[in-house]
Amino acid sequence: MSGSNIFVRKVEANSQSPRTWTTMSSGKAPSLLVVARGVLLVLGIIVVLVPIAWLVLSSFKTPTELASRPQVLLPASLAPTNYVDALQRFGFLTYLRNSVVVTVAATALTLVVNSMAAYAFSKYNFRGRDFLFVTTLATIMIPLQVILIPVYQVISSLGMANTLWGLIIPGAATPTGVFLLRQYMLTIPDELIEAARIDGAGEFRIFLTVIIPLAKPALAVLTIFSVIWRWNDFVWPLIVAQSQSVYTLPVAIAQFSGELVVPFNLVLAMSVLSILPIIIIFLFLQRNIVSGIAQTGLK
Amino acid sequence: MTFATKRGRRSNTKLGRRLAPYLFVAPNMLIFAIFIIFPAINGFNISFYNSNNGRTFNFVGFGNYATLVSDADFWSAVRNTLVFVVLFVTLTTWLAILLAVTLNAQVRAKGFFRTVVFLPVLLSPVVIGLLWNWIFDRQNGLLNIALSHVGLGAPGWLVSSGLAMGVTIFVALWTHTGFYTIILLAGLQGIDGNVYEAARLDGAGPFQTLRSITLPLLQPTVFVVIILAAITAFQAYDFIYTLTGGGPIGATTLLVQYIYDHAFQSPIEYGLASAAGVVLFLTVLFATLISFFIGRKREAV
Repeated sequence: MSGSNIFVRKVEANSQSPRTWTTMSSGKAPSLLVVARGVLLVLGIIVVLVPIAWLVLSSFKTPTELASRPQVLLPASLAPTNYVDALQRFGFLTYLRNSVVVTVAATALTLVVNSMAAYAFSKYNFRGRDFLFVTTLATIMIPLQVILIPVYQVISSLGMANTLWGLIIPGAATPTGVFLLRQYMLTIPDELIEAARIDGAGEFRIFLTVIIPLAKPALAVLTIFSVIWRWNDFVWPLIVAQSQSVYTLPVAIAQFSGELVVPFNLVLAMSVLSILPIIIIFLFLQRNIVSGIAQTGLK
Repeated sequence: MTFATKRGRRSNTKLGRRLAPYLFVAPNMLIFAIFIIFPAINGFNISFYNSNNGRTFNFVGFGNYATLVSDADFWSAVRNTLVFVVLFVTLTTWLAILLAVTLNAQVRAKGFFRTVVFLPVLLSPVVIGLLWNWIFDRQNGLLNIALSHVGLGAPGWLVSSGLAMGVTIFVALWTHTGFYTIILLAGLQGIDGNVYEAARLDGAGPFQTLRSITLPLLQPTVFVVIILAAITAFQAYDFIYTLTGGGPIGATTLLVQYIYDHAFQSPIEYGLASAAGVVLFLTVLFATLISFFIGRKREAV
């Protein structure tokens, strides 16, 4: 649905850009710079959109069409046979459910623990604050990939191996999230907190009723990032999820595409289904991204 | 009586205010301690032992490091990682600057162009690798079909080692450049418009403005982008898994895959993989420190 939306918008933009050139050339010839800019943007759009369009179109092709040489460009019919097949066989719904559960739970956990920590780092003076904050930032340099084995050992000794908990908890305390929220909360005036204290509000109530509503733009940005990270996460789920009942979508797609047990047309349909939710969420929240990045001082 | 209770309450709130920050940071720090800091320290420890099952460990001192040094596959992974990181970071930074400056000047259909540039960032790296693997396929890939139509033959993109590394870097650029472009766009919008007005009045052309105003003022943002890109590049494995699988013959196997292969594919060698993890960590640390000091020095000038 959102895919078609993108293409409608593409047509609109394409029909607009020639108009730009003609209106310009009616006055004076467009400068070299303007032409170079146009060429670069059109080229960029082709490089980004053609592969995605190819994926979406091909997900409607039959196995015969996919195997034909030379490759046919358009599928003979747009009937969603591959999609129905993929949903009914190969446990697709299980992987979809796992992905949704992990993404939602992990994002919720990230928002809670990161915003609490960011509040303390931005609005309290306490012993050890700078040390803890620098330690937090330093862990940006220790991605899970570097410590796969020791983290896996922790997970398995806690009984979280091969469970969804093992996917949700370890990555929840993101250093990026703490940093982003802290930078934003620094801009909230201290007077608001003092006023709430004079009114007799407790520390936790101030956090919930004063800080959280004001930090919404930054929380929106972190939500989008966290959803993208978790939904697309691969290496860690690949290690934690050993049985198919715990597979998330990326793990399932990677395993199936390698094993050749699942026909390629169904892998393509699963791939399209797996990227759709994130594109839909993004189109709803995209306004927040550019302004949010600008506001949160990630510049 | 009233006085006493009032004082009691006040010292309670004071105590609450002193304790509050610790309670606020506690959950975050607890997860950090258990799942990042303890494992990071323990990783050093494991690198001095041999284990093929994760239960019994034999102390071998620096044995694993000695094995690494004499392992040709390890050196090949190190070389590939460095080539990948240096080329990816350089190219993605320049490309993102170019795109950000272009998008910043674009007036029509602004939102549309930004959405398209950001689109690959949203996609699952596994799906991206799968998609490009299929487009770069020698026999029946979209690219070679197009190339043979214009009579350019059918190069074996994923069969020759040099081309496969080129393809891997290209796909990484395709995936990540949009993110850095948006960060740089935010940086560009933070530059005071008056500076440009002054430059225009002084008769500066567009290229001169770019070189002597935009780029210097954008430097702090560029610096953030370089560090983020380097950290991302050192971790690259997900899209490579479905793009090349590390092949042909290890030509696109980077350090993360080397660690993964030794830790989770038989024969399992936890100690060796942990030692490689320590090496990767030290490399990332070293690279970050270097770029940090270069960035600081430049800012001082």
